Amino acid sequence: MLMKKSLTPKVWGSLLAIFLLFSTAYAQKTVTGKVTDPNGAAVAGASITVKGGTIGTSTDASGSFSLTLSNDAKTLVITAVGFTKQEMAVEGSDLTNIVLIPAPNDLDEVVVIGYGVARKRDITGAVASVKEKDFNKGVNPAPDQLIQGKVAGVQVVNNSGAPGAGTTFRIRGASSLRAGNGPLFVVDGVQLSNNNTRPDAGLSPELGNSTPGGNPLNFINPADIESMEVLKDASAAAIYGSRGANGVVLITTKKGKTGDARVDVNASVGVANILKRLEVLSGDQYRTALGEFGFPTNVSTAATPTANFGGNVDALDEVLRSGIVQNYGVGFSSGNDNAKYRLSFGYMNQDGIIRKTNFTKYTAGFNSSFKLLNNRRLGLDFSVLTSQIDEDIAPISNNAGFRGSMIGQALQWNPTRPLRKANGDLDIEYGADAVNPLAFSEAYFDNAKVTTVLANVAPSYKITNNLIVRSQIGITYATGTRKNYTTAFINVPDIAFNPNTGRGGEAGISQNELNTQQITNTLSYNADLNKRISLNAVVGHEYIKTTFGGNNSYARNFIPTDRPYTYFMATSDPSSRRLGSFQDPTNELQSFFTRAIVNVDNKYIFTGTLRADGSSKFGENNRYGYFPSLAGAWNIDKENFMEDLRMFTSLKARASWGITGNQDFPAGASQTLYTVFGNNPGLIQQSNTANPNLKWESTTTLNFGLDFAMMANRLTGTFDYFERKTKDILFPRDAADPVAPISATRWENIDGTIANSGLEVTLNYRIIDKQDLSWDFGINATFLKNELTDFAGEIPTGEVTGQGLSGAFAQLIKSGYPINTFYLRQFTGIDKATGISQYQGGDEKFFLGSPNPTMLLGFTTNVGYKKWSLEIAGNGSFGQYIYNNTANAVLAFNNLGKRNIGLSEYETAKSLGERPVNPTSASTRYLESGDFFRLANATVSYRLGDIGKSIRNATVYVTAQNLFILTNFTGFDPEVNVSKPLNGIPSFGMEYTPYPTSRTINFGINFSL
Amino acid sequence: MKRIFLITIAATVLAGCSKLDEQLGSQLSENTSGSSGAINATVILEGAYEAMRLPYQDQSRVWAAQEHTSDEVIGPTRATDWDDNGVWRVMHSQQWDPNHAFLADTYRDLGRIVFATSDILRFNPTPQEAAEGRMLRAMAMFSLVDGWDQVPYRENTGDPLEVPKVRKGTEALDFIISELNAIIPVLTNGPTNRCNKNGARALLMKAYLNKGVIANRATPAFAAADMNQVITLANTIIAGPYSLTPNYYNNFAPANNSLSTENIWTAENIGGSSSGNVRSRWMCTLHYNQNPSGWNGFTTIADFYNKFSAGDVRRGADFAGQTNVSGIKVGFLVGQQFDQNGVALKDRTGAPLAFTPQVKLTETGSNLEVTGIRVIKYPIDYVGGDNANNDFVYLRLADVMLMKAEAILRGGNDPNGQTPVQLTNMIRTRAAAPALASVSLDQLIDERGRELYWESWRRQDLIRFGKFLQPWNEKPQTDPKVLVFPIPARSLAANPNLVQNPGY
Repeated sequence: MLMKKSLTPKVWGSLLAIFLLFSTAYAQKTVTGKVTDPNGAAVAGASITVKGGTIGTSTDASGSFSLTLSNDAKTLVITAVGFTKQEMAVEGSDLTNIVLIPAPNDLDEVVVIGYGVARKRDITGAVASVKEKDFNKGVNPAPDQLIQGKVAGVQVVNNSGAPGAGTTFRIRGASSLRAGNGPLFVVDGVQLSNNNTRPDAGLSPELGNSTPGGNPLNFINPADIESMEVLKDASAAAIYGSRGANGVVLITTKKGKTGDARVDVNASVGVANILKRLEVLSGDQYRTALGEFGFPTNVSTAATPTANFGGNVDALDEVLRSGIVQNYGVGFSSGNDNAKYRLSFGYMNQDGIIRKTNFTKYTAGFNSSFKLLNNRRLGLDFSVLTSQIDEDIAPISNNAGFRGSMIGQALQWNPTRPLRKANGDLDIEYGADAVNPLAFSEAYFDNAKVTTVLANVAPSYKITNNLIVRSQIGITYATGTRKNYTTAFINVPDIAFNPNTGRGGEAGISQNELNTQQITNTLSYNADLNKRISLNAVVGHEYIKTTFGGNNSYARNFIPTDRPYTYFMATSDPSSRRLGSFQDPTNELQSFFTRAIVNVDNKYIFTGTLRADGSSKFGENNRYGYFPSLAGAWNIDKENFMEDLRMFTSLKARASWGITGNQDFPAGASQTLYTVFGNNPGLIQQSNTANPNLKWESTTTLNFGLDFAMMANRLTGTFDYFERKTKDILFPRDAADPVAPISATRWENIDGTIANSGLEVTLNYRIIDKQDLSWDFGINATFLKNELTDFAGEIPTGEVTGQGLSGAFAQLIKSGYPINTFYLRQFTGIDKATGISQYQGGDEKFFLGSPNPTMLLGFTTNVGYKKWSLEIAGNGSFGQYIYNNTANAVLAFNNLGKRNIGLSEYETAKSLGERPVNPTSASTRYLESGDFFRLANATVSYRLGDIGKSIRNATVYVTAQNLFILTNFTGFDPEVNVSKPLNGIPSFGMEYTPYPTSRTINFGINFSL
Repeated sequence: MKRIFLITIAATVLAGCSKLDEQLGSQLSENTSGSSGAINATVILEGAYEAMRLPYQDQSRVWAAQEHTSDEVIGPTRATDWDDNGVWRVMHSQQWDPNHAFLADTYRDLGRIVFATSDILRFNPTPQEAAEGRMLRAMAMFSLVDGWDQVPYRENTGDPLEVPKVRKGTEALDFIISELNAIIPVLTNGPTNRCNKNGARALLMKAYLNKGVIANRATPAFAAADMNQVITLANTIIAGPYSLTPNYYNNFAPANNSLSTENIWTAENIGGSSSGNVRSRWMCTLHYNQNPSGWNGFTTIADFYNKFSAGDVRRGADFAGQTNVSGIKVGFLVGQQFDQNGVALKDRTGAPLAFTPQVKLTETGSNLEVTGIRVIKYPIDYVGGDNANNDFVYLRLADVMLMKAEAILRGGNDPNGQTPVQLTNMIRTRAAAPALASVSLDQLIDERGRELYWESWRRQDLIRFGKFLQPWNEKPQTDPKVLVFPIPARSLAANPNLVQNPGY
């Protein structure tokens, strides 16, 4: 092993040497020349190198250079700070007058904005654009993970460590209590629905029946993405009207490019292991602890949970494994000026670090773009993205009771008891509470498949050179199927084999279907009106229709076979069967919108936006909402007085105001609804109370920004200060008693203000910029403040689950505090005399700590040395608290004598004099600081360049994800958000026996043909 | 070409234009009703019966409000078990506040019945359907006025903007009485597990008996006219098809629908498929190592257990189909427990599973798993799983007889000439308890406890007999404000017509 380690760099070094050998010949000649800028001024310090070689020099003060090179050197590469890299043929070029073009200012980049593009220079809003080269490297099943930690103001939390798990995506804090806090995702102009097509598993409530959701963005192949734009303020997002309040993320996929046919290939293989284990007592420690606290240790009958079976078992280890990750992709593209296409395929196969979990994704995409007719004025864009996700899922739920879901079962398993008996059979004790986690893993089968097709056709016509009319018709169809079953051999009540009936087990089959149709018609005008004023304007109409429905069947008490029970639903006990189906009300959104960007003298830019959104979800008295925005920007660097202030290459100040909306509430909420019960024929109950005035949540945003570039663009940065105030808070309020039997609530826009304010700082600095050595450093920091004000009422959420914790909750939403502030008994210590917990004021509860971070931090650094490059990215989050429900319910010391406990809990208890009879209670004892800093990503790559005649631009790399995490949080990972809602009100910052996070090492190669 | 293109675009804009009327899916709007619509009085009535299950059968609703607050039940915290944010402790110690989760849920869920049963009246019900709905509503309103004194109601359940009005105290009770009097002629005589004439009469007895209490809970006065109403109604019921079921526990057994001759009004539970949470009656009390493996929660207190004489079958007995299956007796479980083969059971620490009479609100001893006497009122259904077959009992003959005895003691006059001691001894004889020579009010409240324990009447009875504020195990003398529950904070916030009850 040692040999291998020390050899690896040498191997690469030798490869390098071989390439150098091939590219270097012995005959030599000398060339001279001069480098100037377009005005004829000499460029000093420009570097001149031979392409593909190591020989080089730099220009002197007069811009002149002289270089000795081999006879077969064909091309010179000229680079200088602030100028575009230029290549010159050695033969046939006038080397005496090399004119370098100033590097295009970063601000001339074109950025995708809603319903069009704009030069970055012309943007007045807070828009962050992340290009492919800046995406997070490694294994990222869903696109939102590509920009985790990359954008100021954006918080992406992986809800669990499971492959393909969902994320909590927040832009500039949470602004909603009950409606969604996630942004609107738009893929190539198609707005995605918030419905998650992956159904929940059909599970008996015994082990928790709320299972973590998948990521609805999984269907996109990250390798197909060209860029992602985050629209943060109202100037940018108001064009999305009633769906823009939480920000918008525009995902733009790669398109065919002009040029020869090209094949891009990427392949990688990696291995994932658990990042951090939770330490529970070993068998020996457990035996010692039992003795210390007066429990019998000599019992060896299975009937006693404290029995000493003599072993030393790490149950968590038995259900963990190393997961192999494979990822392959190939893209073909070709095109000329009038026809371009791109075709791509992707395959990803990720074994989870828990046995029997897997995430497999197949994607295929095709897009083409044509210019038709003799005058080439008719354009036709066409694209299809298809994918299938195939997941094997572990029995890990959000709300398991005392039996625990698989992680809980493993942590609390009696560590003296081997999971398998001497004869190799799994040790399953019928009638006992303890569930063998390995047996449960063996007994549980859960597979979900989600198939998605997103198709788009967009004809456009250039009426004049400046006026384009475009119509985009997009269709999304997604269907998800989930089949799960638990075999009869597991000792869970209602599932375990019943010898009296000869039956057991449970199975569920569920299916969801989502259909979205979108028609977008736009008329855009983009022209210089005169020498001073240019206009970029669009007017449009859009119609979106979404239907979502599904069905599910669940049954128990099967005649056991060794085949999947889901194949034999008919062998179940008829009385156990549950059939369900639903079809949500059709959701229609009809909109009219316009935007104009006016640029005066390249100095003053004004943007005005207005969108009128009509939604079938809104009450009949409020069918249309209007969402305006106004913004201005000032390119200060264009002013005459800046002529003398050479330190800035660009300097822009921005200000914007606007109103955006959030309509993420259930369809049908404004009407009186009656629900038909499947299991009780003829039973109908009123399930919703009408509100004809129901409308969107309204967020007013103020944004002030400053963009600058200094030192010939080596230092660039952006500051943004924002204030978002959300009113008309959507909330399913307790209707006045008496209320309808199923739903006691009525959706209302209630009084109150959710205020989010903050400062975002983004800085990028090219520390070293030499021919062979470059070093970039980028950092983004966000300071956030969140507060709910003028709100009457108190809303509990954050359900705490586990034995003895029914009815306990950890968070209370109340005026004057950040959303989801923790509200708990305050633990003051252990009474030495009794060994029992003491609390400030007894049963009194206090507001203590918020799960919302006050600071987000992200950094990226790239070092390039010759053909090597190193990229390191990290991110952190500070100021937030996490409720450790795992420690409260599973690891807690007072479980001693019934099941295993946490090692640190045991040590703490001993030092505090706690006794095992100490009652369980939700309290600040389990509230922990969630501050963390994560080294998220480190990649070393080596550019092999062209290999032979056909392989071009080959690069090999190794990426490590989650190398380490600095935190005081005692759970698996402080970046966690287990869904623990109460009465449907979402929680935030709760941890409960989640799928653990992994560390992944990935080896890969990219090349083109 | 340009023109064609523009026309196409214009066409798609027009085609896309929608009036945005919401098209419903698997839910129905009210317009789906009408003469042949799916939403009609019959199905809403079924929904109302369904809505009765949660508040009356679950362990955390009416039963908790009536029993945990009394001397019949205590919910001790046992280390990792049953802390539950303190909800059970404050029920027993009568320290609840307007944010008590279960009391608030009970208030809401009883209101749901009021809503659903009022909603029926909008859909042209038959007179029988209307009468059934009104009886369910009277029951829910009676529980509301008894517990909270304030009964919100809606004039028009179809108007979502209506702020519900509130009837308080005597006004609410008078409404209940007038409703019951109005529907008794319309209701049918049976079956027992649907709303029926005698069920309505028994409920009306409760209303008259408690009329003076609702008017003044601290110092109730009982009018002779009310007591005579109780007696008249009792005589009508007693003359009906009922007799005391020879085996006391058959009234609650899985097959009680056929075995009981005494039950007047019950809620139908269909084993294995459709039931309320009646199984919580045994699950909440049984230890983990018994069959079925219970939740090891609620117990009674020693002083209550000691009210029984030794031979009283209501204190404990074997029950065929249960004791021979699992070794578990019916009635009260105290001392060493055995399985069906007579093998002594152990608790999870390996100590003998022997239930102790002594029990505290927060158990911290090494025997905390086994403290407290367990109570099995409903014999266990070993077949139905989560859906037990035992019909849930609202009202039965023994209660009617004891109410009649009480009405006579409180100044009523029985034209049939039965005496309180006769009535009481009929019940005691069935239970193999020695006959009493005479009956006082103090003896009668004890007899009501012995006969009706864990049947969700204890709090109401203790208040009527002036004993609710007295101290008992783990409960101090309490303030008279606890004679009514606080209006839940969230209900108060939603309705300006509600006012918080005094003292909260």
